[in-house]
Amino acid sequence: MDSIVIVGLVVVLALFFDFTNGFHDTANAMATPIATGALKPRTAVLIASVMNLIGAFLSTAVATMISVGMINDASTLKPEIVFAGLTGAILWNLTTWFLGLPSSSSHALFGGLIGAVIVAAGFGAVNFDSILQKIFYPALFAPVIAGLAAWLATRIAYAITKRSSDDDLQTGRGRFRYGQIFSSSLVALAHGTNDAQKTMGVITLVLVAGGLQADGAHVQVWVILAAALAIALGTFSGGWRIIKTMGKGLSEVKPAQGLAAEVATAATILASSKLGFALSTTQVASGSIIGSGLGRSGGKVRWGKAGQVVLGWIFTLPAAALVGAISSALVLTGPAGIVIDAIVTVGVIIAIFQISRRNAVTHHNVASELEEASEVILTKKQRKANEKAAAAKARKGKK
Amino acid sequence: MFTPISWNSLFSVAGAAVLGTLLVVTMFSLGIRLFMNAEHLKPKAAKGDVKSLRAEAANRAASYALFALSFGAVIYGILLIVPNVIPAIK
Repeated sequence: MDSIVIVGLVVVLALFFDFTNGFHDTANAMATPIATGALKPRTAVLIASVMNLIGAFLSTAVATMISVGMINDASTLKPEIVFAGLTGAILWNLTTWFLGLPSSSSHALFGGLIGAVIVAAGFGAVNFDSILQKIFYPALFAPVIAGLAAWLATRIAYAITKRSSDDDLQTGRGRFRYGQIFSSSLVALAHGTNDAQKTMGVITLVLVAGGLQADGAHVQVWVILAAALAIALGTFSGGWRIIKTMGKGLSEVKPAQGLAAEVATAATILASSKLGFALSTTQVASGSIIGSGLGRSGGKVRWGKAGQVVLGWIFTLPAAALVGAISSALVLTGPAGIVIDAIVTVGVIIAIFQISRRNAVTHHNVASELEEASEVILTKKQRKANEKAAAAKARKGKK
Repeated sequence: MFTPISWNSLFSVAGAAVLGTLLVVTMFSLGIRLFMNAEHLKPKAAKGDVKSLRAEAANRAASYALFALSFGAVIYGILLIVPNVIPAIK
């Protein structure tokens, strides 16, 4: 098969991965503002997608690390191996999305690529030292750091706004919702700076492998633009299943907690992005939500769900690596193997989407469920509108 | 066999994340506290009580200043990563 065709296929697949990354990770920024009623679901995903688009242009530090640092010798890599790695990442991403698990898209990507590379070129081709330094350790510590920051910030926010009456409107804690609009936008921006770069890194990796770009060169402008658009579109489509899990599954979220969690998430991601760490925004956001849940007195963390999420984190890298490895073994058989791999991947993607439609989670039903779970703080105007609607409903019932 | 963890980098990230979060949330919370103080003083101030009027104005001004500062801290955080865009475009 012509190498240009394979490079083109990989670029398309990488952009599709970026799209799945977008809708998989919308929840990181927007689950808590939707849960507290700070933003309406559609408005939230629109803001998140615009911020992701802008964020993708702000930094390429992580992209350079992936393309240059993860593989010992880029020349041992062929575009079809990257293709195989991407299928592993996409299939795991879609599986966890279907299950509503906020797993790491980054780890799915790295896992898929590592599995594919090991089958193609052996263990020596992977720079495990770089992976430990830049991926594994940050993944281990980042949720703890973000959780600690969110826990402290929640305690401080509640201590400062404490009044003799603990009514949210008296204390003004409902007003944290206004801050949440900015803090969640910042998380979306930070997500764009961090996650869009991973696709840029993969595309650069394959351009180098296909001989279309010099090894070690900077990320090209069209790659930045395409990756930014793909992640923004994915974010706009909204991953409602994961929003549901993060908005109500991990902890009951109130506005002050939401603000603390989002600021902690954004600060951790921005600090890591500045230092070139390929961080999982999902793990950071989940750590922050748990930290903020523990920080509010009377706040509850649903440890059963948190345990499921952590299990998902643990399995993400090996599971994606396994799929990447199988896919790699298939594509190494020749052009027929690539075609079979592509057909199987598309078939599984369609099957997952079809099955998910039986129990669809949309912006309509996610909002009502989150409102129930998180005791949304309503403004006077919203409360009056709700009372009017309830009265109208009651009148209709009598008739 | 493997290089040990770069504790300096880790502590830099942890320090920046925790301090940045606490700074923004503390300023915003203080802003809300002062804003609510101003709201509580509003009825008395409206009746012409000079002391309440002054206290309301001071609380409100300080709260707006704190909101602006927390917004400024967020902008600073974004600016920290902006210089990276220049080598990317080149």
